[in-house]
Amino acid sequence: MIRANIRRLFHLALRRRDRWEREVEDEIKLHLTLRAEQLMAAGASPTEAYDEAVRRFGPLTESRARMFDAARHREQRMQRTEYFADLRQDLAFALRTLRRQKAWTAVTLITLALGVGATTAVFSVVSSLLLHAVPYPGANRIVQVFQQPSEGNQTGVSVTITPAAPVLRAWKSSRSFEALEGLGFAEMEMRTTGEPASLNVTMMEPTFPTFAGERTILGRVFTASEVASSVHVAVLGEGVWRTRFGGDSGVVGRTIVLNDSAYSIVGVLPERLQVPPGIAPPTDVWLPIDLRNDKLGTRVVGRLKRGVSFEHVAAELDSLYARSAGFSGGRIPFTAVLRTPAQHVQFHDSLIMLTYAVALVLLIACANVAHLLMARAASRHRELAIRTALGAGRGRVMRQLLTESLLLAISGTALGVIVGWLGLKALVALRPSSLATLERAHLDGTTLGIAVVVALVTGTIFGLLGMLQSRRQSTNESLKSGTTSAAGRRARARMLLVVSEMALSATLVVGASMLVRSVSKLQRADLGFQPKGLYALTLPDVKKKRGATARAELLRAVASRLVSLPEFRSVALASTPPGWMSFSVGRLEIDGKTSPTAGTTFTGVNEIGTGYFEAMGIRLVQGTTFTDTTPGANQVIINARFARKTWGTTSPVGHRIRVAQKAESPWLTIVGVADDAATSGPASGPMGESSAPMLYTPATDASAVALVIRTTG
Amino acid sequence: MSRLPVLKGTLDLLVLRALSWAPMHGFEIVSWLERAADGSLDLEDSALYQAVYRLEEKGLLEADWGVTENNRRARYYKLTVSGRAHLRAETKNWVQYADTVTTILTTAKDAKPSTAGS
Repeated sequence: MIRANIRRLFHLALRRRDRWEREVEDEIKLHLTLRAEQLMAAGASPTEAYDEAVRRFGPLTESRARMFDAARHREQRMQRTEYFADLRQDLAFALRTLRRQKAWTAVTLITLALGVGATTAVFSVVSSLLLHAVPYPGANRIVQVFQQPSEGNQTGVSVTITPAAPVLRAWKSSRSFEALEGLGFAEMEMRTTGEPASLNVTMMEPTFPTFAGERTILGRVFTASEVASSVHVAVLGEGVWRTRFGGDSGVVGRTIVLNDSAYSIVGVLPERLQVPPGIAPPTDVWLPIDLRNDKLGTRVVGRLKRGVSFEHVAAELDSLYARSAGFSGGRIPFTAVLRTPAQHVQFHDSLIMLTYAVALVLLIACANVAHLLMARAASRHRELAIRTALGAGRGRVMRQLLTESLLLAISGTALGVIVGWLGLKALVALRPSSLATLERAHLDGTTLGIAVVVALVTGTIFGLLGMLQSRRQSTNESLKSGTTSAAGRRARARMLLVVSEMALSATLVVGASMLVRSVSKLQRADLGFQPKGLYALTLPDVKKKRGATARAELLRAVASRLVSLPEFRSVALASTPPGWMSFSVGRLEIDGKTSPTAGTTFTGVNEIGTGYFEAMGIRLVQGTTFTDTTPGANQVIINARFARKTWGTTSPVGHRIRVAQKAESPWLTIVGVADDAATSGPASGPMGESSAPMLYTPATDASAVALVIRTTG
Repeated sequence: MSRLPVLKGTLDLLVLRALSWAPMHGFEIVSWLERAADGSLDLEDSALYQAVYRLEEKGLLEADWGVTENNRRARYYKLTVSGRAHLRAETKNWVQYADTVTTILTTAKDAKPSTAGS
């Protein structure tokens, strides 16, 4: 039906053009006829009269063309004038009508404003966090490249490692990248000016600032030859330059002492230059990276060429790696993984989910508006019929209603933009500290465009639809205020709307309630330990400055002080606090049994101090805790699932196991079995996918980096 | 009798004048001009239509379809308010101009010797 109407619309346009051409023709024809008649009256024969008429008219083709031209101009001007006059009238009338139905107008406007506003605000957040996760040129082609073990990972979580420098060197000959950058990170102590401070240092190649689309604000970046000759040069970050060097413009040539080595400053890079999110904290000082150091692990960031697929690139990188490292037959221990910077953004999955939810909200808002428009079209049926009866053309009535719909949609979306802007401000203000980059979020143009278009299209389509239905009903019937077949059709269309609206709402409600259920289920889930009242305290960095023994002593001192307080029930050392994961990768061997797995295995490890199980609230199901924690005793406690899988119902206590790595590892004697505990989160635990065995061994000074603390509360 | 070519710009004025009595269609205007000039104007009919269209575009005329005495559909032109004002002003200009030129051409016989003699 709509198609027929559209065709009619185009038809009209064609006929208009025909009309003025025909009018010119008619005018000329009439002239020639009248002239010929005049000549015949004076006694000429019809043929002579006609020829003479044409002759007197002058150059026919040329004149006709000019007249067409003039007629076309005239027509266009007329249409324009008419159009604007009509528009003015329509707008005035629409405003009057909307003002008369205040409640209806308000509800429609608020619905539109909220739909558009919510969508815009949330999409803007998502877009700034995920789509523009890095502010580099060609941001949508930026990837981070990692390696992951090609086998043996049964932990249920994705494990990536940072490629070593030789791997990156091999990758550099890849043809899939416009640029491939290696980065390294360290924390160093600065003693040049003022208080000693711990600085975040990023090691980069000289090309990185260009890669990231930034330039030094002072001086220069180090050169390739400086990197090659291992000269100690540094580029300051803008923050350090301002706070520690007072923004001194003569800073180039001065020296900065980092970890007891002097570096001469060659330049200053702007604050805007940052490494991709999730890799490292904001950089204070930039140093050259030495990719000749084979032991160096690197973070790899690259800009892909256009149109290459992740699979293709990974395959290429793997073959380059295999060739350079001399692996034959394509069997390599580590395969390349490409990740977009967005995948490293915190709450990535939640943000995606939120996006879908908000898109549904916009849809529901639009459906609501559609419903409101159609309901109103029904109620205005008689008014339209009267206007048609009074001689208003159908096109004219249609335009009137369209103007109303559009006016409504435009005002609604305008309000929506305001709501979205305020909403975004609120979201930015309420952001978690881990989403610091959200600060630079702004109203996303694309998003806004889409929301506005959706709202306008809804307004237009349903404004028209409601009317097309009333059109079908004859004026006469409407005036008699009869409800006839058209009313039935309209009812059907509205039913359809209601049904789809209900379906959308139901989807949202079901999704939301499932989310809530999942969360509450997770909270009630048996994690195998007691998360309530449990705290962890880590001191991973003390080691670098004062040595492992000092750190262990510090931790032990803190522990003994804490235990003496009534608020703390038990405190224990651990190498892996809750929320973390540590693995030992190698072949897991069991004394007296053939190995259950042929290749490498990921084995969870945690080196723990006395009282760990008590502090964590993990039950010991068999055996005892360590009876001898000296290194030579080699005692181990394993988890229940591993015990059940390997020894069935018989007790594993007294059996020996080891993780065979490159160097021969000692055999460990099992003294106890602890309950399975999902210490790194629900996904890793008893109900997660992890089937990795878990080994607890006594903590040493070198491994103890954390305290787990059980409060009495 | 020799026929005079229509001076540039004067055709518009003549058309406006024709229409100052009553609305007319194209052929009526032509006939009126021929009658009024007693056949002494040399004018192609198409030129008149172009003039009419030009005037319409300038907003000095407006047109509407009507029916002739013999029941034929014809496009009738009539003066707009600004067309009438234009006619009045341009007629005055034209008359002044023509008077001046006529005076110079016909009465200033002595001018040349007197200026030459001084």
